[in-house]
Amino acid sequence: MADLLEQLAALREHETRVAMATLIGARGGSPRPLGAKLFVGEGGRLLGSVSIGGCVDSRVVEHGERLLKENRAQRVTVTVDDAEAVELGLACGAEFDLLIEPISLNGTDPAIEAYLSAANISRSGKEAFVVTRIAAKGAPARMVTSQPFEATGPDVFVERIPAAETLVLVGGSDVGAGLARLCRGLGLRVVVIDGRERYATRDRFATADEILVGMPSDLARPYFKEGAYVVLVGHEYKYDLPILREALRAPVRYVGMLAGRKRADAVKALLREDGLTDDEIARLHSPIGLDIGGREPEEIALSIAAQLIAVREGKPIAKRG
Amino acid sequence: MTLPYGAVVLEHFRRPRNQRSLERPSAAHEAFNPMCGDRVRVEVELQAGKIVAAAFTANACAICTASASLLTERVAGMAATEATAIPESAMIVALETEVPKAREACATLPLTALREALRAGS
Repeated sequence: MADLLEQLAALREHETRVAMATLIGARGGSPRPLGAKLFVGEGGRLLGSVSIGGCVDSRVVEHGERLLKENRAQRVTVTVDDAEAVELGLACGAEFDLLIEPISLNGTDPAIEAYLSAANISRSGKEAFVVTRIAAKGAPARMVTSQPFEATGPDVFVERIPAAETLVLVGGSDVGAGLARLCRGLGLRVVVIDGRERYATRDRFATADEILVGMPSDLARPYFKEGAYVVLVGHEYKYDLPILREALRAPVRYVGMLAGRKRADAVKALLREDGLTDDEIARLHSPIGLDIGGREPEEIALSIAAQLIAVREGKPIAKRG
Repeated sequence: MTLPYGAVVLEHFRRPRNQRSLERPSAAHEAFNPMCGDRVRVEVELQAGKIVAAAFTANACAICTASASLLTERVAGMAATEATAIPESAMIVALETEVPKAREACATLPLTALREALRAGS
């Protein structure tokens, strides 16, 4: 959601009005979750999707263009018959309900403000709920809350924006810079930590949510919580050891360290001497990343990002042999 | 990880003395080397001009960590003025290993932190 809103801000440079289509219901299966969005610009530009391309999005685009001209919101149902469903990769025919509404990109629009507010709540570590009341006539009304909210009828659509998970990135290296960019796009809250001011800079980490310079083990400790991904890319044992001693015993979701196999084995041996158990040490992903063979910083960053996705999705490939 | 240092450095790096935070420090200072990224925070508890306890926290290399360990052992019970006067060369000698010129700053960083802490606490 946050990433889509950032892209929407970029779209503002070229478009003044867009139709925002939100997937609010699906029968017969849907490749995208409810709440998925497709923006149709008055100038023809498209952003996002409510299906995986194909004829569903095309029909939504047509409706969007029409409703932009008519300057009104409408609930629309797009039907896919069995033959079309096979082409779309669905098991059988399906119906998709969409709320399509004109949005102004000039100044503040209540809908965009609502989603920005929800994204900010999510980035602060809390889940957010965007409650949309769909009127028979006129624009939909929205409210945003951090309290769980249940839909109270067919004219109320509730979107749950989960709390953003945090990437704790220790080491302002080039690999770290690439990973920060990728992970921001994956919806993670990115916290960059280093002991060196020259590396952890806003120039190098333009999209990071936080940049912290100081004693890395002290700065990282408050983030050792459930759902955190701790990634050490400084290639500095002075930072790696103190952080690993704590992170591997914390309920974080992932701990990875940039290292060749020899260095990784040496660090694991030191951790064993320090009293960490084999189970705790086995949580460490090092060498880090999926083995896709890249050597450049951006390639290594991509392999790490891919591993984070695999961990999030519980895929066996996440654990490198 | 094979570290090319003598027994004293290895002993104090792997089993550092006084690596903790003091409950009631009279003074503290965190020093860092902007080039290599070593960071060491030294805390002291002072009573009547005397160091009754010294401790440190470090995210630092083996030389710097060992130096901080040796220093905090050495200054416990010492007058603050006496501790401030410890020369840099003494820290390098105490490590009982050949410290390359480029790494001397690692060995003396804890002493810098201690001096700054004592200056602030005086």
